[in-house]
Amino acid sequence: MPAMLETLLERFRQRDRLALSRLLSTVARGERIEEILTGVGETAKPARVVAFTGSGGVGKSTLVGKSIETIRQRGQSVAVLACDPQSPLSGGALLGDRFRMTARPDDDGVFIRSLAAAGGHGALAEHLPALVHLFEAFGFDVVLIETVGAGQGDTVVREWVDVLVLLLQPETGDDLQWEKAGLLEVADAIVIHKADLSGAERVEAQVLATLSLGTGPVAPVLRVSSRTGAGLAELWQTIASLPLRRGRQKRGRDLLLLAQQTLTARFAAVEAHPELQQLLAAWERGTVTSTQAAAALFRLLRDTDS
Amino acid sequence: MADSPPVRVVLAKVGLDGHDRGIKVVARALRDAGMQVIYAGLWQTPEAVVRAVAEEDADWLGLSLLSGAHMTLVPRVLQLLRGAGLEHVGVLVGGIIPEGDIPKLREMGVARIFGPGTSLPEIVTFLQERSGAGHA
Ligand SMILES: Nc1nc2c(ncn2[C@@H]2O[C@H](COP(=O)(O)OP(=O)(O)OP(=O)(O)O)[C@@H](O)[C@H]2O)c(=O)[nH]1
Ligand SMILES: [Mg+2]
Repeated sequence: MPAMLETLLERFRQRDRLALSRLLSTVARGERIEEILTGVGETAKPARVVAFTGSGGVGKSTLVGKSIETIRQRGQSVAVLACDPQSPLSGGALLGDRFRMTARPDDDGVFIRSLAAAGGHGALAEHLPALVHLFEAFGFDVVLIETVGAGQGDTVVREWVDVLVLLLQPETGDDLQWEKAGLLEVADAIVIHKADLSGAERVEAQVLATLSLGTGPVAPVLRVSSRTGAGLAELWQTIASLPLRRGRQKRGRDLLLLAQQTLTARFAAVEAHPELQQLLAAWERGTVTSTQAAAALFRLLRDTDS
Repeated sequence: MADSPPVRVVLAKVGLDGHDRGIKVVARALRDAGMQVIYAGLWQTPEAVVRAVAEEDADWLGLSLLSGAHMTLVPRVLQLLRGAGLEHVGVLVGGIIPEGDIPKLREMGVARIFGPGTSLPEIVTFLQERSGAGHA
Protein backbone atom coordinates (compact mmCIF):
# COMPACT_ATOMS: atom_id res chain seq x y z
CA MET A 1 0.00 0.00 0.00
CA PRO A 2 2.65 2.63 0.85
CA ALA A 3 4.48 1.81 -2.38
CA MET A 4 1.23 2.28 -4.25
CA LEU A 5 0.65 5.66 -2.65
CA GLU A 6 4.16 6.74 -3.57
CA THR A 7 3.48 5.83 -7.20
CA LEU A 8 0.20 7.70 -7.16
CA LEU A 9 1.85 10.79 -5.71
CA GLU A 10 4.58 10.64 -8.31
CA ARG A 11 1.99 10.40 -11.06
CA PHE A 12 0.06 13.27 -9.48
CA ARG A 13 3.15 15.47 -9.58
CA GLN A 14 3.39 14.69 -13.28
CA ARG A 15 -0.18 15.93 -13.76
CA ASP A 16 -1.82 12.53 -14.23
CA ARG A 17 -5.58 13.09 -13.97
CA LEU A 18 -6.30 9.49 -12.95
CA ALA A 19 -3.87 9.83 -10.06
CA LEU A 20 -5.67 13.02 -9.02
CA SER A 21 -8.97 11.18 -9.22
CA ARG A 22 -7.71 8.27 -7.12
CA LEU A 23 -6.18 10.54 -4.50
CA LEU A 24 -9.44 12.48 -4.24
CA SER A 25 -11.17 9.19 -3.35
CA THR A 26 -8.58 8.32 -0.72
CA VAL A 27 -8.83 11.74 0.92
CA ALA A 28 -12.65 11.72 0.73
CA ARG A 29 -12.56 8.47 2.73
CA GLY A 30 -10.41 10.22 5.30
CA GLU A 31 -7.40 8.00 4.65
CA ARG A 32 -3.73 9.05 4.73
CA ILE A 33 -4.51 12.73 4.43
CA GLU A 34 -1.27 13.99 6.02
CA GLU A 35 0.91 11.84 3.79
CA ILE A 36 -1.00 12.87 0.69
CA LEU A 37 -1.00 16.58 1.46
CA THR A 38 2.71 16.48 2.10
CA GLY A 39 3.32 14.32 -0.96
CA VAL A 40 1.52 16.48 -3.50
CA GLY A 41 3.89 19.30 -2.75
CA GLU A 42 3.49 23.03 -2.45
CA THR A 43 0.91 24.85 -4.51
CA ALA A 44 2.50 27.13 -7.05
CA LYS A 45 -0.33 29.62 -6.89
CA PRO A 46 -3.38 29.70 -4.62
CA ALA A 47 -6.63 28.89 -6.39
CA ARG A 48 -9.72 31.03 -6.07
CA VAL A 49 -12.22 28.83 -4.21
CA VAL A 50 -15.87 29.71 -4.73
CA ALA A 51 -18.81 27.92 -3.12
CA PHE A 52 -22.39 28.09 -4.35
CA THR A 53 -25.17 27.53 -1.88
CA GLY A 54 -28.94 27.90 -1.89
CA SER A 55 -32.07 25.80 -1.52
CA GLY A 56 -32.72 22.68 -3.57
CA GLY A 57 -33.66 23.47 -7.16
CA VAL A 58 -32.45 27.08 -7.08
CA GLY A 59 -30.10 26.22 -9.95
CA LYS A 60 -26.70 25.68 -8.29
CA SER A 61 -25.58 22.94 -10.67
CA THR A 62 -26.79 24.82 -13.73
CA LEU A 63 -24.98 27.99 -12.68
CA VAL A 64 -21.80 26.05 -11.90
CA GLY A 65 -22.06 24.47 -15.34
CA LYS A 66 -22.42 27.85 -17.01
CA SER A 67 -19.62 29.26 -14.88
CA ILE A 68 -17.27 26.61 -16.25
CA GLU A 69 -17.72 28.10 -19.72
CA THR A 70 -17.28 31.65 -18.47
CA ILE A 71 -14.12 30.79 -16.51
CA ARG A 72 -12.62 28.96 -19.49
CA GLN A 73 -13.34 32.00 -21.65
CA ARG A 74 -11.46 34.06 -19.10
CA GLY A 75 -8.51 31.77 -19.76
CA GLN A 76 -8.49 29.98 -16.41
CA SER A 77 -8.70 26.29 -15.55
CA VAL A 78 -11.45 25.10 -13.24
CA ALA A 79 -12.19 22.15 -10.97
CA VAL A 80 -15.62 21.40 -9.51
CA LEU A 81 -16.61 19.56 -6.32
CA ALA A 82 -20.33 18.83 -6.45
CA CYS A 83 -21.77 17.66 -3.14
CA ASP A 84 -24.99 15.71 -2.78
CA PRO A 85 -26.36 14.18 0.41
CA GLN A 86 -25.48 10.69 1.52
CA SER A 87 -28.43 8.54 2.51
CA PRO A 88 -28.27 8.13 6.29
CA LEU A 89 -29.98 4.75 5.99
CA SER A 90 -27.93 2.97 3.36
CA GLY A 91 -24.78 5.09 3.29
CA GLY A 92 -25.26 5.28 -0.47
CA ALA A 93 -25.71 8.43 -2.47
CA LEU A 94 -27.26 9.60 -5.68
CA LEU A 95 -24.93 12.18 -7.14
CA GLY A 96 -26.96 13.97 -9.77
CA ASP A 97 -25.36 17.40 -10.13
CA ARG A 98 -22.86 16.46 -12.74
CA PHE A 99 -25.29 15.94 -15.58
CA ARG A 100 -26.13 19.64 -15.58
CA MET A 101 -22.49 20.52 -16.09
CA THR A 102 -21.02 19.92 -19.48
CA ALA A 103 -17.48 20.42 -20.58
CA ARG A 104 -15.78 19.62 -23.84
CA PRO A 105 -14.61 16.02 -23.40
CA ASP A 106 -11.08 16.87 -24.51
CA ASP A 107 -10.63 19.97 -22.36
CA ASP A 108 -8.00 19.29 -19.70
CA GLY A 109 -8.70 22.66 -18.13
CA VAL A 110 -11.83 21.26 -16.50
CA PHE A 111 -12.29 18.53 -13.87
CA ILE A 112 -15.65 17.68 -12.30
CA ARG A 113 -15.96 15.47 -9.24
CA SER A 114 -19.12 14.40 -7.38
CA LEU A 115 -18.99 13.78 -3.65
CA ALA A 116 -21.30 12.28 -1.08
CA ALA A 117 -21.80 14.51 1.93
CA ALA A 118 -22.52 12.60 5.11
CA GLY A 119 -24.10 14.35 8.08
CA GLY A 120 -21.87 16.39 10.32
CA HIS A 121 -20.95 19.35 8.22
CA GLY A 122 -24.31 19.08 6.57
CA ALA A 123 -23.83 20.90 3.35
CA LEU A 124 -20.43 19.52 2.42
CA ALA A 125 -18.42 16.43 1.92
CA GLU A 126 -15.97 15.66 4.70
CA HIS A 127 -12.35 16.68 4.37
CA LEU A 128 -13.28 19.45 1.96
CA PRO A 129 -10.22 21.63 2.61
CA ALA A 130 -7.91 18.72 1.84
CA LEU A 131 -9.82 17.95 -1.37
CA VAL A 132 -9.56 21.58 -2.40
CA HIS A 133 -5.85 21.48 -1.66
CA LEU A 134 -5.42 18.57 -4.08
CA PHE A 135 -6.98 20.59 -6.88
CA GLU A 136 -4.90 23.57 -5.93
CA ALA A 137 -1.67 21.59 -5.93
CA PHE A 138 -2.62 20.08 -9.29
CA GLY A 139 -2.67 23.62 -10.63
CA PHE A 140 -6.30 24.57 -11.10
CA ASP A 141 -6.90 28.33 -11.08
CA VAL A 142 -10.46 28.17 -9.81
CA VAL A 143 -12.22 25.60 -7.61
CA LEU A 144 -16.02 25.64 -7.58
CA ILE A 145 -17.97 23.92 -4.83
CA GLU A 146 -21.65 23.10 -4.98
CA THR A 147 -23.04 22.58 -1.49
CA VAL A 148 -25.90 20.24 -0.71
CA GLY A 149 -28.18 23.16 -0.03
CA ALA A 150 -28.53 26.17 2.17
CA GLY A 151 -28.43 25.47 5.84
CA GLN A 152 -26.43 25.52 8.99
CA GLY A 153 -23.37 24.07 7.31
CA ASP A 154 -22.83 27.29 5.43
CA THR A 155 -21.07 29.14 8.18
CA VAL A 156 -18.44 26.40 8.09
CA VAL A 157 -18.23 26.59 4.32
CA ARG A 158 -17.49 30.27 4.53
CA GLU A 159 -14.28 29.66 6.43
CA TRP A 160 -13.04 27.17 3.89
CA VAL A 161 -13.59 29.20 0.74
CA ASP A 162 -12.63 32.58 -0.65
CA VAL A 163 -16.06 33.53 -1.90
CA LEU A 164 -19.41 32.19 -0.75
CA VAL A 165 -22.21 32.84 -3.24
CA LEU A 166 -25.82 32.55 -2.08
CA LEU A 167 -28.42 31.81 -4.74
CA LEU A 168 -32.02 32.97 -4.41
CA GLN A 169 -34.80 32.73 -6.94
CA PRO A 170 -38.10 34.46 -7.66
CA GLU A 171 -41.20 33.05 -6.04
CA THR A 172 -39.51 31.51 -3.04
CA GLY A 173 -42.33 32.95 -0.94
CA ASP A 174 -42.54 36.17 0.97
CA ASP A 175 -41.22 34.94 4.27
CA LEU A 176 -37.57 35.28 3.30
CA GLN A 177 -36.40 31.89 4.54
CA TRP A 178 -32.80 32.78 3.81
CA GLU A 179 -32.98 35.73 6.11
CA LYS A 180 -33.95 33.51 9.00
CA ALA A 181 -31.02 31.28 8.27
CA GLY A 182 -28.73 34.28 8.59
CA LEU A 183 -27.37 33.52 5.16
CA LEU A 184 -27.51 37.04 3.80
CA GLU A 185 -24.89 38.10 6.31
CA VAL A 186 -22.41 35.31 5.63
CA ALA A 187 -22.63 35.44 1.83
CA ASP A 188 -19.90 37.32 -0.06
CA ALA A 189 -22.12 37.71 -3.11
CA ILE A 190 -25.84 37.21 -3.58
CA VAL A 191 -27.26 36.00 -6.87
CA ILE A 192 -30.90 36.46 -7.75
CA HIS A 193 -30.94 33.44 -10.04
CA LYS A 194 -33.40 32.55 -12.80
CA ALA A 195 -33.65 36.27 -13.51
CA ASP A 196 -35.43 35.35 -16.75
CA LEU A 197 -38.50 34.58 -14.61
CA SER A 198 -40.81 37.31 -13.44
CA GLY A 199 -40.39 38.49 -9.88
CA ALA A 200 -36.60 38.73 -9.91
CA GLU A 201 -36.66 42.50 -9.43
CA ARG A 202 -38.95 42.15 -6.47
CA VAL A 203 -36.65 39.63 -4.74
CA GLU A 204 -33.68 41.87 -5.48
CA ALA A 205 -35.46 44.84 -3.90
CA GLN A 206 -36.30 42.76 -0.81
CA VAL A 207 -32.72 41.60 -0.46
CA LEU A 208 -31.33 45.10 -0.82
CA ALA A 209 -33.82 46.40 1.73
CA THR A 210 -32.85 43.69 4.20
CA LEU A 211 -29.15 44.23 3.65
CA SER A 212 -29.47 47.97 4.19
CA LEU A 213 -30.71 47.30 7.74
CA GLY A 214 -27.51 45.55 8.69
CA THR A 215 -24.42 47.21 10.04
CA GLY A 216 -21.68 45.26 8.26
CA PRO A 217 -20.40 45.68 4.71
CA VAL A 218 -23.03 44.92 2.10
CA ALA A 219 -22.44 42.01 -0.28
CA PRO A 220 -22.93 42.69 -3.99
CA VAL A 221 -26.32 41.58 -5.34
CA LEU A 222 -26.58 40.46 -8.97
CA ARG A 223 -29.36 39.23 -11.18
CA VAL A 224 -28.26 36.20 -13.22
CA SER A 225 -29.99 33.82 -15.59
CA SER A 226 -28.23 30.61 -16.47
CA ARG A 227 -30.90 30.04 -19.08
CA THR A 228 -30.19 33.21 -21.08
CA GLY A 229 -26.65 33.82 -19.83
CA ALA A 230 -27.56 37.32 -18.65
CA GLY A 231 -25.42 38.53 -15.77
CA LEU A 232 -22.89 35.69 -15.90
CA ALA A 233 -19.95 37.77 -17.06
CA GLU A 234 -20.77 40.42 -14.45
CA LEU A 235 -20.97 37.75 -11.75
CA TRP A 236 -17.48 36.49 -12.58
CA GLN A 237 -16.10 39.98 -12.76
CA THR A 238 -17.48 40.59 -9.27
CA ILE A 239 -16.18 37.29 -7.89
CA ALA A 240 -12.74 37.93 -9.35
CA SER A 241 -12.60 41.35 -7.72
CA LEU A 242 -13.32 40.06 -4.21
CA PRO A 243 -10.34 39.46 -1.90
CA LEU A 244 -9.00 35.93 -1.38
CA ARG A 245 -10.21 35.53 2.17
CA ARG A 246 -8.93 31.99 2.62
CA GLY A 247 -5.31 32.95 2.19
CA ARG A 248 -5.24 35.16 5.23
CA GLN A 249 -7.09 32.78 7.55
CA LYS A 250 -5.27 29.77 6.25
CA ARG A 251 -1.80 30.95 7.16
CA GLY A 252 -2.90 31.39 10.78
CA ARG A 253 -4.50 27.97 10.85
CA ASP A 254 -1.48 26.38 9.22
CA LEU A 255 0.78 27.82 11.88
CA LEU A 256 -1.38 26.48 14.69
CA LEU A 257 -1.53 23.11 12.99
CA LEU A 258 2.23 23.03 12.66
CA ALA A 259 2.68 23.88 16.34
CA GLN A 260 0.25 21.12 17.25
CA GLN A 261 2.05 18.58 15.10
CA THR A 262 5.44 19.57 16.50
CA LEU A 263 4.19 19.15 20.02
CA THR A 264 2.68 15.75 19.25
CA ALA A 265 5.91 14.61 17.64
CA ARG A 266 7.92 15.77 20.64
CA PHE A 267 5.65 13.97 23.06
CA ALA A 268 6.15 10.82 21.03
CA ALA A 269 9.92 11.32 20.97
CA VAL A 270 10.11 11.93 24.71
CA GLU A 271 8.06 8.90 25.63
CA ALA A 272 11.02 6.53 25.43
CA HIS A 273 13.48 9.01 26.91
CA PRO A 274 15.33 7.55 29.97
CA GLU A 275 15.08 10.89 31.71
CA LEU A 276 11.30 10.70 31.54
CA GLN A 277 11.33 7.22 33.09
CA GLN A 278 13.55 8.51 35.94
CA LEU A 279 11.28 11.50 36.38
CA LEU A 280 8.19 9.30 36.59
CA ALA A 281 9.90 6.99 39.09
CA ALA A 282 10.97 9.92 41.26
CA TRP A 283 7.47 11.36 41.14
CA GLU A 284 5.97 8.01 42.13
CA ARG A 285 8.39 7.79 45.08
CA GLY A 286 7.34 11.27 46.10
CA THR A 287 10.84 12.77 45.84
CA VAL A 288 9.59 15.39 43.37
CA THR A 289 6.21 17.15 43.50
CA SER A 290 3.71 17.12 40.62
CA THR A 291 4.53 20.75 39.86
CA GLN A 292 8.24 20.02 39.72
CA ALA A 293 7.63 16.96 37.53
CA ALA A 294 5.47 18.94 35.12
CA ALA A 295 8.13 21.66 34.84
CA ALA A 296 10.79 19.04 34.19
CA LEU A 297 8.61 17.48 31.51
CA PHE A 298 8.25 20.85 29.79
CA ARG A 299 12.03 21.30 29.82
CA LEU A 300 12.39 17.86 28.31
CA LEU A 301 9.87 18.66 25.55
CA ARG A 302 11.56 21.97 24.84
CA ASP A 303 15.01 20.43 24.47
CA THR A 304 13.89 17.47 22.38
CA ASP A 305 14.22 17.52 18.63
CA SER A 306 11.33 15.71 17.06
CA MET B 1 -18.40 -4.60 4.22
CA ALA B 2 -18.52 -1.57 6.51
CA ASP B 3 -14.90 -0.59 6.11
CA SER B 4 -14.56 -1.45 2.44
CA PRO B 5 -14.65 1.71 0.33
CA PRO B 6 -18.04 2.56 -1.15
CA VAL B 7 -18.67 1.20 -4.63
CA ARG B 8 -18.88 4.04 -7.14
CA VAL B 9 -21.02 3.58 -10.22
CA VAL B 10 -21.39 5.96 -13.16
CA LEU B 11 -24.71 5.57 -14.97
CA ALA B 12 -25.13 7.13 -18.37
CA LYS B 13 -27.34 6.93 -21.34
CA VAL B 14 -25.60 6.98 -24.66
CA GLY B 15 -27.25 7.42 -28.01
CA LEU B 16 -30.14 9.53 -29.09
CA ASP B 17 -33.24 8.24 -27.37
CA GLY B 18 -34.75 10.47 -24.78
CA HIS B 19 -36.21 8.89 -21.71
CA ASP B 20 -34.39 8.14 -18.50
CA ARG B 21 -36.97 6.61 -16.21
CA GLY B 22 -35.33 3.18 -16.21
CA ILE B 23 -31.87 4.47 -15.41
CA LYS B 24 -33.20 6.59 -12.56
CA VAL B 25 -34.96 3.62 -10.99
CA VAL B 26 -31.72 1.65 -11.16
CA ALA B 27 -29.82 4.61 -9.70
CA ARG B 28 -32.11 4.72 -6.69
CA ALA B 29 -31.89 0.98 -6.11
CA LEU B 30 -28.09 1.10 -6.13
CA ARG B 31 -28.06 4.05 -3.74
CA ASP B 32 -30.38 2.19 -1.38
CA ALA B 33 -27.93 -0.70 -1.50
CA GLY B 34 -25.21 1.64 -0.20
CA MET B 35 -23.48 2.54 -3.44
CA GLN B 36 -22.47 5.97 -4.67
CA VAL B 37 -24.21 6.52 -7.96
CA ILE B 38 -23.12 9.27 -10.30
CA TYR B 39 -25.83 10.03 -12.77
CA ALA B 40 -24.07 11.40 -15.84
CA GLY B 41 -27.18 12.05 -17.88
CA LEU B 42 -28.79 11.54 -21.23
CA TRP B 43 -27.46 11.71 -24.77
CA GLN B 44 -23.89 11.24 -23.67
CA THR B 45 -21.13 10.68 -26.17
CA PRO B 46 -18.71 7.81 -25.47
CA GLU B 47 -15.98 10.42 -24.89
CA ALA B 48 -18.01 12.27 -22.26
CA VAL B 49 -18.91 9.02 -20.51
CA VAL B 50 -15.30 7.86 -20.27
CA ARG B 51 -14.27 11.25 -19.01
CA ALA B 52 -16.89 11.01 -16.26
CA VAL B 53 -15.62 7.56 -15.27
CA ALA B 54 -12.07 8.91 -15.00
CA GLU B 55 -12.96 12.01 -13.00
CA GLU B 56 -15.30 10.14 -10.67
CA ASP B 57 -12.88 7.28 -9.97
CA ALA B 58 -15.72 4.87 -10.71
CA ASP B 59 -15.52 1.11 -10.21
CA TRP B 60 -18.39 0.44 -12.60
CA LEU B 61 -19.94 2.01 -15.64
CA GLY B 62 -23.57 1.28 -16.41
CA LEU B 63 -24.57 2.13 -19.96
CA SER B 64 -28.16 2.33 -20.98
CA LEU B 65 -28.95 2.05 -24.67
CA LEU B 66 -32.19 1.73 -26.51
CA SER B 67 -31.35 3.17 -29.84
CA GLY B 68 -29.99 0.04 -31.49
CA ALA B 69 -26.55 1.55 -31.96
CA HIS B 70 -25.06 -0.70 -29.29
CA MET B 71 -22.72 -2.54 -31.64
CA THR B 72 -20.93 0.71 -32.43
CA LEU B 73 -21.33 2.62 -29.15
CA VAL B 74 -20.31 -0.12 -26.72
CA PRO B 75 -17.07 -1.08 -28.51
CA ARG B 76 -16.22 2.59 -28.77
CA VAL B 77 -16.66 3.08 -25.00
CA LEU B 78 -14.59 -0.03 -24.24
CA GLN B 79 -11.83 1.13 -26.55
CA LEU B 80 -11.77 4.60 -24.98
CA LEU B 81 -11.69 3.11 -21.47
CA ARG B 82 -8.66 1.03 -22.38
CA GLY B 83 -7.02 4.01 -23.99
CA ALA B 84 -7.51 6.04 -20.83
CA GLY B 85 -6.01 3.40 -18.55
CA LEU B 86 -9.43 2.45 -17.19
CA GLU B 87 -9.52 -1.23 -18.09
CA HIS B 88 -10.19 -2.07 -14.43
CA VAL B 89 -13.65 -0.50 -14.66
CA GLY B 90 -16.45 -3.04 -15.02
CA VAL B 91 -18.92 -2.27 -17.79
CA LEU B 92 -22.60 -3.15 -17.63
CA VAL B 93 -25.05 -2.67 -20.45
CA GLY B 94 -28.78 -2.24 -19.98
CA GLY B 95 -31.42 -2.04 -22.63
CA ILE B 96 -32.95 -3.96 -25.46
CA ILE B 97 -30.10 -5.98 -26.92
CA PRO B 98 -30.87 -8.65 -29.51
CA GLU B 99 -30.10 -12.16 -28.22
CA GLY B 100 -27.47 -12.72 -30.88
CA ASP B 101 -25.42 -9.69 -29.91
CA ILE B 102 -25.08 -10.63 -26.24
CA PRO B 103 -22.19 -13.09 -26.67
CA LYS B 104 -20.42 -10.59 -28.92
CA LEU B 105 -20.66 -7.85 -26.31
CA ARG B 106 -19.52 -10.24 -23.58
CA GLU B 107 -16.55 -11.19 -25.67
CA MET B 108 -15.61 -7.53 -26.12
CA GLY B 109 -15.39 -7.23 -22.34
CA VAL B 110 -18.86 -6.24 -21.11
CA ALA B 111 -19.26 -7.77 -17.65
CA ARG B 112 -22.99 -8.29 -17.89
CA ILE B 113 -25.98 -7.37 -20.01
CA PHE B 114 -29.29 -6.64 -18.30
CA GLY B 115 -32.32 -6.94 -20.54
CA PRO B 116 -35.68 -5.22 -20.07
CA GLY B 117 -37.02 -7.96 -17.79
CA THR B 118 -34.19 -7.70 -15.26
CA SER B 119 -35.22 -7.23 -11.64
CA LEU B 120 -33.54 -4.59 -9.51
CA PRO B 121 -32.30 -7.08 -6.88
CA GLU B 122 -30.58 -8.97 -9.69
CA ILE B 123 -28.53 -5.91 -10.62
CA VAL B 124 -27.79 -5.02 -7.01
CA THR B 125 -26.70 -8.55 -6.11
CA PHE B 126 -24.48 -8.81 -9.16
CA LEU B 127 -22.67 -5.59 -8.33
CA GLN B 128 -22.32 -6.43 -4.65
CA GLU B 129 -20.92 -9.89 -5.31
CA ARG B 130 -18.54 -8.77 -8.00
CA SER B 131 -17.39 -5.70 -6.06
CA GLY B 132 -16.74 -7.69 -2.91
CA ALA B 133 -14.59 -10.13 -4.84
CA GLY B 134 -12.75 -7.29 -6.54
CA HIS B 135 -13.86 -7.19 -10.13
CA ALA B 136 -10.69 -5.44 -11.18
N1 LIG C 1 -35.95 29.65 -15.65
C1 LIG C 1 -34.75 29.22 -15.27
N2 LIG C 1 -34.61 27.95 -14.82
C2 LIG C 1 -33.38 27.54 -14.43
C3 LIG C 1 -32.26 28.40 -14.50
N3 LIG C 1 -31.18 27.71 -14.04
C4 LIG C 1 -31.62 26.48 -13.70
N4 LIG C 1 -32.96 26.36 -13.94
C5 LIG C 1 -33.78 25.15 -13.70
O1 LIG C 1 -33.89 24.92 -12.31
C6 LIG C 1 -34.00 23.52 -12.04
C7 LIG C 1 -32.99 23.11 -10.96
O2 LIG C 1 -31.69 23.33 -11.42
P1 LIG C 1 -30.41 22.68 -10.71
O3 LIG C 1 -29.23 23.32 -11.33
O4 LIG C 1 -30.50 21.21 -10.74
O5 LIG C 1 -30.61 23.17 -9.22
P2 LIG C 1 -29.75 22.81 -7.92
O6 LIG C 1 -29.78 23.98 -7.03
O7 LIG C 1 -28.42 22.31 -8.34
O8 LIG C 1 -30.58 21.62 -7.29
P3 LIG C 1 -30.09 20.57 -6.16
O9 LIG C 1 -28.71 20.13 -6.50
O10 LIG C 1 -31.09 19.48 -6.26
O11 LIG C 1 -30.16 21.28 -4.84
C8 LIG C 1 -33.77 22.83 -13.37
O12 LIG C 1 -35.00 22.42 -13.88
C9 LIG C 1 -33.15 23.90 -14.24
O13 LIG C 1 -33.44 23.74 -15.60
C10 LIG C 1 -32.45 29.73 -15.01
O14 LIG C 1 -31.54 30.57 -15.10
N5 LIG C 1 -33.73 30.09 -15.36
MG1 LIG D 1 -27.44 20.47 -7.94
